Amino acid sequence: MTLTQCPVDQTLTLLCDAMEANRLQHPRSRRLAGQLITMIEDVASGRAGAAHLPTVQRLADELAAFQADAAGMALGAEVRLALAANQEVFASHIETQNCAAGACDRLAPSPCQMACPAGIDIPTYVALIAEGRDAEAIETIRRDNPFPWVCGLVCTRPCEFMCVRGRIDQPVSIKTLKAFAAERALSLGHYVNPAQAPPKNRKVCVIGAGPGGMSAAYYLALNGYTVRVIEALPMAGGMMMVGIPRYRLPREVIDREVAMIEALGVEFRFNTCLGKDVGFAQLRAEGFEAFFLAIGAHASFKLNIPGENDYPQVIQAIDFLKRVALGDRHLPGQQVIIIGGGNVAIDAARTCLRLGCASVTMAYRRTLSEMPADVEEIEQAEEEGVQFAFLTVPVAVEGRDGHVTGLRCLKARMVAQAGSKRMAPVPIEGSEFVIRADAVISAIGQRIEKQTLAELKDLSWTRRDTIQVHTATMATDLPGVFAAGDAVTGPATVVEAIGGGKRAAAAIDRYLNGLPQPGMPPVPVRHHRAAWTEVPATTKMALKRQPMPLLNMDRRRTTFQQVELGLSENMVREEARRCLRCDICRRCGRCVEVCRDKMKVDALRLGYLDFDAPGPTDFRWTQEHCIACGACAANCPNDAMQTEDRKGERIIHLCGTVLSRQPLRYCDGCGEAIGTDRYIEFVRRRTHRIAPVLDGRIYCDQCARRKAVLDAHDVHSVD
Amino acid sequence: MALRKGQKVEVFRRSGDESWEPYMDKFIGRHGIITDPDTSINDPESLVEVSLDGMGTHRLPQDCLRVLDA
Ligand SMILES: Cc1cc2nc3c(=O)[nH]c(=O)nc-3n(C[C@H](O)[C@H](O)[C@H](O)COP(=O)(O)OP(=O)(O)OC[C@H]3O[C@@H](n4cnc5c(N)ncnc54)[C@H](O)[C@@H]3O)c2cc1C
Ligand code: SF4
Ligand code: SF4
Repeated sequence: MTLTQCPVDQTLTLLCDAMEANRLQHPRSRRLAGQLITMIEDVASGRAGAAHLPTVQRLADELAAFQADAAGMALGAEVRLALAANQEVFASHIETQNCAAGACDRLAPSPCQMACPAGIDIPTYVALIAEGRDAEAIETIRRDNPFPWVCGLVCTRPCEFMCVRGRIDQPVSIKTLKAFAAERALSLGHYVNPAQAPPKNRKVCVIGAGPGGMSAAYYLALNGYTVRVIEALPMAGGMMMVGIPRYRLPREVIDREVAMIEALGVEFRFNTCLGKDVGFAQLRAEGFEAFFLAIGAHASFKLNIPGENDYPQVIQAIDFLKRVALGDRHLPGQQVIIIGGGNVAIDAARTCLRLGCASVTMAYRRTLSEMPADVEEIEQAEEEGVQFAFLTVPVAVEGRDGHVTGLRCLKARMVAQAGSKRMAPVPIEGSEFVIRADAVISAIGQRIEKQTLAELKDLSWTRRDTIQVHTATMATDLPGVFAAGDAVTGPATVVEAIGGGKRAAAAIDRYLNGLPQPGMPPVPVRHHRAAWTEVPATTKMALKRQPMPLLNMDRRRTTFQQVELGLSENMVREEARRCLRCDICRRCGRCVEVCRDKMKVDALRLGYLDFDAPGPTDFRWTQEHCIACGACAANCPNDAMQTEDRKGERIIHLCGTVLSRQPLRYCDGCGEAIGTDRYIEFVRRRTHRIAPVLDGRIYCDQCARRKAVLDAHDVHSVD
Repeated sequence: MALRKGQKVEVFRRSGDESWEPYMDKFIGRHGIITDPDTSINDPESLVEVSLDGMGTHRLPQDCLRVLDA
């Protein structure tokens, strides 16, 4: 191992290569090597603790001593050697969480991948989609998230907020690309499960078939565990099925992805409520060794206003949406008021319109700009005919003869709170008014149904009434009991539940194998460095984020058909080509500095490199100003900026974006490439030495010197 | 705090909230973007989802966050 390389990274590569090449034949040596990979990945990503190194040593010793597999023994011996020779480097990775060689690039995934709560290798899958390799893109996504199609339609896309392309114009449509690839791969039959580890004959029980529970089930089943999922409802999906309405997420999408999990042998027990139909004692007696709680947040907060409990037409948004999802298509009323300003409120309002309610009004105590719902969702609701009553504070539900007749409200105004910039709505005295209504739907937040878990008396809860866990592992304070999803975070998102489920599956595996747990959440893993797609700078700038085609308005008001129709294939391939490949270019800015400060050329206009204060970016600027000296490429530590001589041209490209393409000049003496006209001119102005033009011909430095000598003695010419 | 999606924030101090775990000390001084505020009631008590530059996406208590571009 050379000093410029990192022994941790090299040991990891050694192990991964052996596994990928199927060199280890015996299940035990494969298991040991797998556990070594898990441990060394922790070291390489800065999340290992004091127990990791002794464990790595023990596993390597065991592998080296296991005589039934010669390849395993050799591998174990190599790992032991690497450990012995580089003890202090391994230790410093753990203690300082720093890779001195900068080789552990698992420590530096792209900003979008870092932002994804499930840690999907986004640049890799986007690059694969740009090349039309949809099935491989799905395979990449499913390493970290078993629901690419669902997430492609409803993810809240934190990745797009961090997308570096957003500093130039708009973020890459990371979410939508995923949906396209999943749909295409499924329709062609190319959406397949990865290979499963041999059965371990150890049982894990998952409570709740939402995204959190099913993700844990998926990764545990892949790892060879026997998994049973207990679900109170008659179908899988959790809030994806009974919360998110069908016009945003068709049922088939959930069903198809759940079927892939079922195909791994995961057993689903529907209509089975933990705490009612079955208990922990019974499950433990059946041989389950670990439990994963992913029961979501299905109870609602009350409004606590007079009249709320007096009329059957006052309902909770969560219950209403669940009823509709399960097939009840009755109108809640003709004139409906929804209380709240979040995504759930918007979903309830748009569902009411589709059921045929004559008028739907959302009452929200603050203003439009403070509405927590997504801007796109608010816009779509407004287009469909939902009305908004802002600065409206409900004070009582009014009714007669057991029927709601209206909602009594006060007008509010926003007032800065003492000692802070925070504005709060303050009701205006005497401003009472009544909004006529025959149904009121409350959507002011969800909470966890704690009584379900009453049997776990020692389970710790937070003051927010969510399950207390260590977020690095999702472990509760009870041995063998893990939890994630809304039950831990409070009402959150699908992708956070998926990330939590995946993290818990890894922690359950360690728990059942007596391996040490990490001290901090995982850093996402880069799966490989996909080849980049070559795109001219003008195209890279000209490609704008593709707008989403929508269903026509009449259908949107009357049916539950999917509103967002998805991008066409052409749009998808073009959108994918907008990606800047931030997994390769790490935005260190060295190329810009060298070009501007050392070469004094300033041909790189890459303002997007800065997170805090991005400046203007124009990839086309380089073609106008670049001298093609290659100093940027020579100084790029990541091979992101490259220079290449091809077919008589010198090309400078940044992760495939062709910044400059200029004809090359060749020495008229020896035929060697000298550089471009601009480069020759640049050098000539500074040195008057290299590549002079003599007799209208051009020579490289060496030939020019030879010619000068020959001319001086007037012997004969170079050619 | 009524944080909004897309707002730039800084983790400017340690939170006294029970949800603050020791590894989060590394986040102090980091900048990021609010990716999922409390989506129902703008409760100043609720945890908000923040994506921190180079540090990943986390749910953090609001008292450790300061808006940068407000
Ligand atoms: C209306 C609405 C719209 C939403 N829109 C979006 C969106 O667009 N994008 C997004 O990312 N997120 C959205 N969310 C949030 C998202 O759906 C949740 O964050 C996510 O589903 C949480 O996953 P989970 O696995 O923790 O729990 P859930 O999905 O809630 O699943 C929990 C499961 O556990 C079952 N269960 C509960 N108690 C028991 C018990 N005792 N025994 C057996 N089973 C039990 C439940 O029946 C349920 O199936 C939305 C939520 C709602 C309500
Ligand atoms: S440009 Fe591409 S790699 Fe960079 S953050 Fe956006 S999607 Fe990720
Ligand atoms: S191209 Fe290379 S030198 Fe330039 S910012 Fe990217 S990583 Fe740094």
